Amino acid sequence: MALVDSTQQLLEAAMRGSWQRNTALTNNIANADTPGYRPQEVAFESALQSAVSSEESPSQLEFQTVTQPIEAGPNGTAVSVDQESAKLAENALDYQAVTEVVGARNSILRSAMGLNA
Amino acid sequence: MGLFDAIGIAGSGLTAERIRMDVTAENLANADTTRAANGQPYQRQEVVLAQAGASSFGGALSGALQQAGGAQPAGGVAVAGIVSDATPDQQVYDPGSPEANAQGYVKMPNISTVTEMTDLISESQSYQSDVTAMQTAKSMFGSTLGLLK
Repeated sequence: MALVDSTQQLLEAAMRGSWQRNTALTNNIANADTPGYRPQEVAFESALQSAVSSEESPSQLEFQTVTQPIEAGPNGTAVSVDQESAKLAENALDYQAVTEVVGARNSILRSAMGLNA
Repeated sequence: MGLFDAIGIAGSGLTAERIRMDVTAENLANADTTRAANGQPYQRQEVVLAQAGASSFGGALSGALQQAGGAQPAGGVAVAGIVSDATPDQQVYDPGSPEANAQGYVKMPNISTVTEMTDLISESQSYQSDVTAMQTAKSMFGSTLGLLK
């Protein structure tokens, strides 16, 4: 088994995707009052899923930021700040969960290498 | 996609909302101003927001750099301009005023204090959403740094 195995690559790709989604959601919130703005989304889970099922290397994955075809509401904007904030909080928790797993795996590797007592 | 993009984007939102609050405050302060710089009643000012990115230099540069990756640049929000509201002035009957015309009417600014106050609330809430987004990005970055411990 390689030191950086496919699980580690998958976790790293998930962190990248989550980070990119955070940027997209932040952009949505910043443009909450911009007329004509359409919210963006990064659907990285499905890209990861298809990479796993096709046994493709997840470290090469590029995630697409797509603009959602949502019509503007009565206030003239298509962004729901409440929904975007909820997604932002959920995404941050997702990110922290994945980071925790990466950290746990790193500490296993460290003890195997005798780096911590 | 840079590491601190999200913080910069939230920052652009903070700037835009603060400018909107400044303009709303100016409207409120001048709600009764009958003589603006041009001698006419004050005209309500309004901020026009536009999505930043493609048009700005930084956005164009990062777009050109990322063309191979196919990712579109996310540049936050920018103030496209501050425009005058073309709604006609209000006519208020006040024959005692030095500004009154022959019929006793005074031209007052086209400002509704209620509209300005509700705008102010919505602007301050948008500002807080941007602060929350910035804190979220900070905490995510913090957990990444935690991996180095």
